[in-house]
Amino acid sequence: MPSVIETHDLRKNYGSHQAVRGLNLQVPSGSICAFLGQNGAGKSSTLRMLFGMARPTSGSGQIFGLRIDNEQDSLRIRQRAAFVAEDKRLYDYMTVAQIIRFTRSFFPNWRSDLEARLLDQFELPLDRRIRKLSKGMRTKLALLLGFARGSELLILDEPTEGLDPVAIEEVLQIIVSLVSDGATIFFSSHQIAEVEQIADHVLMIHRGQLVLDAPMDQVKDQYRHVQAVFPDLVSEQDFRLPGVERVSADGRIVTLVASCNVDAIISHARRMHADSIDVLPVSLKEIFLEKVRAGK
Amino acid sequence: MKMLLLKAWTETRVRFFSSLLAAVVVCLYHVTQHAWLVTMWTHTLANDPKALTHFPWMPLGISSYNWYLWHYLFDNYLQQIWVLFAVLFAFGGLAREKLNGTAPFSLGLPISRKRWLLSRLLIAFIESIALAVFAIAFTAIASIAIHQTFSVTGLILHTTLMVATGIFFIAFGDLCSSLFPGEYLAIILTLLIFGTPYLIVQTYEQHMRVLGRGDWLRNIDLAHIMAGPWQLTWTTLPWLGMAIMWTMTALLLIAAIKHGDRVDY
Repeated sequence: MPSVIETHDLRKNYGSHQAVRGLNLQVPSGSICAFLGQNGAGKSSTLRMLFGMARPTSGSGQIFGLRIDNEQDSLRIRQRAAFVAEDKRLYDYMTVAQIIRFTRSFFPNWRSDLEARLLDQFELPLDRRIRKLSKGMRTKLALLLGFARGSELLILDEPTEGLDPVAIEEVLQIIVSLVSDGATIFFSSHQIAEVEQIADHVLMIHRGQLVLDAPMDQVKDQYRHVQAVFPDLVSEQDFRLPGVERVSADGRIVTLVASCNVDAIISHARRMHADSIDVLPVSLKEIFLEKVRAGK
Repeated sequence: MKMLLLKAWTETRVRFFSSLLAAVVVCLYHVTQHAWLVTMWTHTLANDPKALTHFPWMPLGISSYNWYLWHYLFDNYLQQIWVLFAVLFAFGGLAREKLNGTAPFSLGLPISRKRWLLSRLLIAFIESIALAVFAIAFTAIASIAIHQTFSVTGLILHTTLMVATGIFFIAFGDLCSSLFPGEYLAIILTLLIFGTPYLIVQTYEQHMRVLGRGDWLRNIDLAHIMAGPWQLTWTTLPWLGMAIMWTMTALLLIAAIKHGDRVDY
């Protein structure tokens, strides 16, 4: 599958602080790609660089094959892609109708049908000034302004932050429907349950570096939690095997998380005369926590 | 572009209407004070033999309403009000949006940073022109109301000179608003850094001209370049001063564009 977004050794420094450190990522076309990471991991810096709001310190990036650090290319990117920032503040002196009219004027592929549907679905009052909208309503409006652009790519930074569970579900359904219409979604989120629900590709960033880049199916299929009980004492060293992400030994019990090679790990445990071996699926949340712990 | 201009206008219209109010106060005050001042000057000249030495301009002030208008409006108070608001019109834009959190939305639109800047500067320039036109129109009507005759050509020429050279202050205000942190701090710093010397040099040089002396400070008396001589014609236009102000304006605009391109939002 071709990539819509690609970065090569992308770096961003703020003074002596390295926010993004040599990021190499690819977002497959037509996918819902989740971008996970702790606060301060470098997600927002990456998204801002992709959209020309921050200049990369070094490295390169392309969207639709267009360079993100070139002014003209960045303009063409913004004609074809939408960005909804984490801080969804809008011009608070405008009314809902005014900001829709303002935004629509820059996008020839504006989807009036979707605009009308979302206005109705989100119950946004057209004549109300943005400063008088609640945080959730502002988020819905920001999403409407992103979704209705008719863009090939939507980059969403924490799209459901501040929304109630019903609204979150609605937004997730809209995201899925946009992808079925041919769009690509690249979104960051701290809500791992949402990511598991809709994402088909996962990128995980920790301290400015990519620590996971895999299709969601592969993550779900290959990551396993293995617990083995042995007749005698065992050490962690015995399980430093390919695919083992983390291992801990407590007396006769070994607990490990494997990202692949699970069959070989089980065979190894059997050769060591394990009394019992339990293999359990690992949730994305656990994988995320493993990656964060491993990076510390 | 239409929408960008509309947005820039919406964001600065309170400042613009405030400027109109300030212009009304300044122009109305000086037009209505004319008769009283002329009476006072006449009395002073008749009773104080040294008055002509200290105030050599008084006979002109008494005899010429055109000089009066030039002195009080274009060489002093209207110009100062106009400069203040030209700087204020230029404040805002992406630098302000960065502070109030709307910059990511604006920069997510397919509009270059240069276009954002130019649309705002264009509105600031139009507002500055409108302010000047409003002020002289108001002055003309008020002058007619007090039965004073005046040179329409003179008013138009002085207004044109003030706006044409005063574009420098729009570029200056724009650069300051993007360089200095904080919305209000930027305004205070700009007024301190530039406004104070501007007023001091203007006042000092006016005094030196009355005394018939000149010094090196007259070269940086931007206020006098903007005012020009009171009998303004094509031949008395301060061409060198205008060229210097336009060059400085161009340099400030280039600096603002270069700086704007480099800022991270």
